[in-house]
Amino acid sequence: MPEITYIEAIRQGLFEVMRAHPDVVLYGEDVGAFGGAFKATLGLQKEFGKERVFDTPICESAMLGVAIGMATQGLRPIVELQFADFITTALHQLLNNAGTLHYRTGVPVPMVIRAPCGGGFSGGPFHSEELEAIFCHMPGIKVVYPAFPCDARNLLHTAVMDNSPVVFLENKYLYRHIKEAIPAKHDPLPFGKARICRNGRDATVITYGAMVNETLHAARDLIDDTGYDITVVDLRSLKPYDKDTIMAAVASTNRVLIVHEAWHTCGFGAEIAAHIAENAFHLLDAPVRRLTAPDCPVPFAPVLEERYRPNSAKIVSALVDLIEY
Amino acid sequence: MTDATSITPSHRALNASDAACTPVNGDKDRYVGMLRTMLRSRFTDERLNRLYKQGHITGGVYSSIGQEAIGAATTAAGQPQDLYAPLIRNMAVHVGRGETVLDVFRQWLGRGGSPTRGRDGNIHYGTFSHGVYAMISHLGAMLPVVVGGVMARRRLGVDAVGFAYIGDGGSSTGDFHEAINFAAVFSVPVIFIIENNKYAYSTPIAGQFRCERLIDRAPGYGLEGFSADGNDALALYRLVHPLAADIRAKPRPIMIECDTMRMRGHGEHDDFTYVPPKLLERYRARDPIAVASNHLKAEGVLTAAEIESLTQACQAEVDLAYRTAMNEPPPNPDTLLDGVYANA
Ligand SMILES: Cc1ncc(C[n+]2csc(CCOP(=O)(O)OP(=O)(O)O)c2C)c(N)n1
Ligand SMILES: [Mg+2]
Repeated sequence: MPEITYIEAIRQGLFEVMRAHPDVVLYGEDVGAFGGAFKATLGLQKEFGKERVFDTPICESAMLGVAIGMATQGLRPIVELQFADFITTALHQLLNNAGTLHYRTGVPVPMVIRAPCGGGFSGGPFHSEELEAIFCHMPGIKVVYPAFPCDARNLLHTAVMDNSPVVFLENKYLYRHIKEAIPAKHDPLPFGKARICRNGRDATVITYGAMVNETLHAARDLIDDTGYDITVVDLRSLKPYDKDTIMAAVASTNRVLIVHEAWHTCGFGAEIAAHIAENAFHLLDAPVRRLTAPDCPVPFAPVLEERYRPNSAKIVSALVDLIEY
Repeated sequence: MTDATSITPSHRALNASDAACTPVNGDKDRYVGMLRTMLRSRFTDERLNRLYKQGHITGGVYSSIGQEAIGAATTAAGQPQDLYAPLIRNMAVHVGRGETVLDVFRQWLGRGGSPTRGRDGNIHYGTFSHGVYAMISHLGAMLPVVVGGVMARRRLGVDAVGFAYIGDGGSSTGDFHEAINFAAVFSVPVIFIIENNKYAYSTPIAGQFRCERLIDRAPGYGLEGFSADGNDALALYRLVHPLAADIRAKPRPIMIECDTMRMRGHGEHDDFTYVPPKLLERYRARDPIAVASNHLKAEGVLTAAEIESLTQACQAEVDLAYRTAMNEPPPNPDTLLDGVYANA
């Protein structure tokens, strides 16, 4: 099995779904001949033609609105945002149009919005945002956030074939930093299934996106340095999320740290913490803890971003605190 | 006051030659100032490109090379009380408004003493004391902000004019439409300056809009629109200066489309092989610094020797500034949370 990067896996998944399903179209800014700002769509226009893969003007709101129109008339559009940050100019279409249409009319809206997110490369406040909590708050919208190449490819297949609007979050840091051996054919992977990356007895980390990798680093360091053994749960899909796996992990470790790269207040970790408090209070030996970015814009200067963004060292110290509570 | 003949109606393009015949008169300082702005802008960009390649600048570098005339002319045409919202290709607006080259380097290098104190980088800055808004990346978003800023200044009795910049690509956004219509309804004196540099990242203008010229939209908003040669600072100044005076006295927005060319990639990471070399050649022959230098020589404003010494002085200023900024410290990470909210 060849090892490929996270972004290669997404690209491969795009080729696969477009070959298998002639009703899939893909568009966005510079996604055609140029292959997209990150090259996730390189070669797609060449194979599928300009009818199915095309560049749009700079108009995120229209891009999402057009996708809704297409999705309700037999196509399965995939929209690439150049950066997730720019979706804020189109939230209206997502929340009010895409998210309510099926509920109001019974007409499915099969569309996928691919959104490159996250920081760690000095992109500053407008090219580093992690906005999953905003999407998860919206009724009618599904949200996935893979952390590994195979999951990215498999979830892309699921997302495209789902009949509801899906926000498909991709992490820019992972694009070229993580590789995995990938089988010839994709495996079906339903939404709402977490991945248990490792099993340990002392605490559980619940995380997703780029922080999965940081947590795995932290877990390796921790077992070497202290002997503490950590369970790591990669949620993969945020809405719906895998409540059964969370409950099982809480039951077996009794201590939970939630880690995400997004802001603290009303971040997705708050949802997970609330769910555990409501349903697993009796299983806890320590308060549920969250390690997140602070409530400030993503800073540009590397020293500030280093302080801002959770990483493996911060996860190690949060885990030691939690385990020695 | 302007006389009506200096205003080109939207259905007639302004040619460089229309304006270039106006005598220089007492405006010599401004003309020299425009050349100085362009030189400082160019040398700063060139140094930023090198610092990026040397790994000193994180994120990316987006240069204004080839588009300096627009910022130089439009800042020369304004007054201190005016408000500017520069965008990605507007290094010349920053330096033309008097923001120091040293601050520019601090900003791009993410220094603690930068205008954004290292919180933001590259093009995303501006100092209120110079009447310059700090852009966000989202294209179109700054246009309504300038409209509001000018409305407020005028309400406080300051006869400000706004200068809002946008690219050919940015003209496709919803905010572009909303801001211009808003300014029209409230007769807010803002000059919407469209820098048509033929590309938005890899997308040529044919993939962006289907009007012949973007100012063809102006009458639809009830605005006058003007075409200008964006590589001819002197001609552009002679267009914008009277227009700014006119809308200052008789408030209303106007639109100016500048014909220019993005001479580098979208950023320095981009090899821009998608741009036909012939197109670049055509504009390389109209490099704004050369065009202005030739005009100034032809009109007897500056001699070749004077231009040479101005060039050297600007280069020396830029070199000193970047070296100074290189030796300054990054922000203190303990300040990360300072300033999220204003003091109550
Ligand atoms: C709303 C929004 N969508 C996408 C982007 C990403 N983006 C940054 S610059 C750019 C191209 C801009 O082209 P143009 O407006 O012509 O300006 P130029 O770079 O040519 O000066 C794009 C697509 C953005 N900044 N804002
Ligand atoms: Mg452009």
